[in-house]
Amino acid sequence: MLKRTLVANRGEIACRILRACREAGIEGVAIYAENDSGTLFTELADIAVQLEGEGLAETYLNQEQILQIALDSGCDSVHPGFGFLSERADFAQAVMDSGLIWIGPSPEAITKMGDKMTARVTMKEAGVPVIPGEEVTGGLEEVLQIAPSVGYPLLLKATAGGGGKGMRAVHKQEDLESEARAAMREALNAFGDDRIYVERLLTGSRHIEIQILADKYGKTIHLGERECSIQRRHQKVFEESPSVALDSELREAMGEAACDAARAVAYEGAGTVEFLVTPKGEFFFLEMNTRIQVEHPVTEMVTGVDLVREQLRIAGGEAMSCGPLNMRGHAIEVRLYAEDPSNNFLPAIGVLKKFIAPTGPGVRLDTGVREGDAVTPDYDPMLAKLIVWAPSREEALQRMGRALDEFVVLGCTTNVRFLRELCTNPDVVDGWTTTDMIDRLWPDGWSPGHAVKISDAGLLIAAACESTNHGKTVTSSTGGIAIPSPFSTINRRYP
Amino acid sequence: MEFKTSNGRIEIDPTRDGDSFIHEGMILHTGENLWLEIEGRKHKVVATKVGDVWWVHVQGHTLQFEVIEAGGSSSDDEGGLTAPMPGKILEVHVREGQDVVSGDILMVMEAMKMEHKIVASSDGKVEHVHYKEGDQVPQGAELLTISE
Repeated sequence: MLKRTLVANRGEIACRILRACREAGIEGVAIYAENDSGTLFTELADIAVQLEGEGLAETYLNQEQILQIALDSGCDSVHPGFGFLSERADFAQAVMDSGLIWIGPSPEAITKMGDKMTARVTMKEAGVPVIPGEEVTGGLEEVLQIAPSVGYPLLLKATAGGGGKGMRAVHKQEDLESEARAAMREALNAFGDDRIYVERLLTGSRHIEIQILADKYGKTIHLGERECSIQRRHQKVFEESPSVALDSELREAMGEAACDAARAVAYEGAGTVEFLVTPKGEFFFLEMNTRIQVEHPVTEMVTGVDLVREQLRIAGGEAMSCGPLNMRGHAIEVRLYAEDPSNNFLPAIGVLKKFIAPTGPGVRLDTGVREGDAVTPDYDPMLAKLIVWAPSREEALQRMGRALDEFVVLGCTTNVRFLRELCTNPDVVDGWTTTDMIDRLWPDGWSPGHAVKISDAGLLIAAACESTNHGKTVTSSTGGIAIPSPFSTINRRYP
Repeated sequence: MEFKTSNGRIEIDPTRDGDSFIHEGMILHTGENLWLEIEGRKHKVVATKVGDVWWVHVQGHTLQFEVIEAGGSSSDDEGGLTAPMPGKILEVHVREGQDVVSGDILMVMEAMKMEHKIVASSDGKVEHVHYKEGDQVPQGAELLTISE
């Protein structure tokens, strides 16, 4: 049983983990950089400790400082969340060497899966199918030499990477050198490692991943799939479970392959095995994410399993609590990004002057921000995740559309309208979701299709608000006047 | 009243009736809450002002309208090559005095851990390069000056 856990993360996922800790009766310790003072996650912790220094390297990536805080504050465990140090085997090792529990798989498992080349070899040996491609160890010259034999279109990926950074699609030979340079530089900046590898870009494929859980007692299970095909800049924006592309036979085959992948590295905890599924129904291992994932809530909604609680349980030495799974209904998650979808999804900044989240049946919001917070260029532009559950895919899309219509975010440009249009896009409704669909549907970029009526209405609202100085005057004449509650009166009279 | 939008400038002169404003058959009721009445149905709308810009949420759409002060000349941001967001200059591909054609990559900058290309939108000559590699730039900073 864990007693006190340091959450080595920030924003939305730190909130998610700290809440799980509180539910499990574990004390949560948050760490935060100065520019995160007063944000939501620092309030959800039992103890919040400010990190010294500026910039990611000195704060959320500063292993020594984080470890020292964990020890000084009496923690017995560290949860890395996702991103930051979550897939750093050296950090996992340092945590364990300090006598603390690392809430995640072993450093050996992280190393084997984190290095894409080693992962490919390990998976091949375990009998898990991998994508045709060439592994590069000799820098730019070798990339240029090997690319023609892999064939175009091809994909350059950071060996150490993830999250779309250092990843470049190359469609013709002329672009190769500049794209390879950019990919290597992004990889170096993001991961401190500029090795990349070249693989064939499988167009028209789906990105489908399998959630797995494994405990110390030899039990490894899969919790079905998540389809995450709808991506922009190789980053997911819309995820769902189950996938329309899988029948029970393919689901079981992929689930078994995912469990084989996990067993091949003696995996413990929650993890995700990502596959590309071709239109013919072949599937290829992409990578394994050795951590909790951004889109884990969709699996939680359809399986009823609390994945973060299971992580805490497994790390504490207990067996996983979930028995035979009973998947039901359909869940969808969308990622709310501070970005401008009508300007090539460029990140946006601003103050969230209004942030009114949707509510109602089947709606879950995992947010790291709230009204009044500033969105700065210092961190990832993902602000929150909106998840819905409904009995069927059709109803889930309708519910997501309704929820997004209710979602008011003013003061910082977001992708809410883009996400809303996805919910009624014919390809999405029909389940024709592929990793290249955003480029295919909007080759010249997306722009919001405001009807004339909406533009006119907006103009009227702006003009009226400007005339009346809307929001500037003191509101509510009854504010501050205490109206006696009839219930307290009754309570006093009849104790 | 005049506003700047993504589609250019628009003028509007709604009819006022007490706390209500009428335009194109729609009525907006103001007060603590805003209600838009279209064909007899009322819709709650939300609006807030940030700087000179009114942000409006209406029926699932978010729109922005920048107030243009009457008689004042608005600063024109056209023609300049400005930083779309705060970030760091990674590469400078041109030097002062160089001729460029539309589509040329002028600079590469990094922001939010992604790389963005600054591309010439028209043919011309580079008059000034305001930043060098490694410089931090604020949002809206003029990066280069190009003459026609």
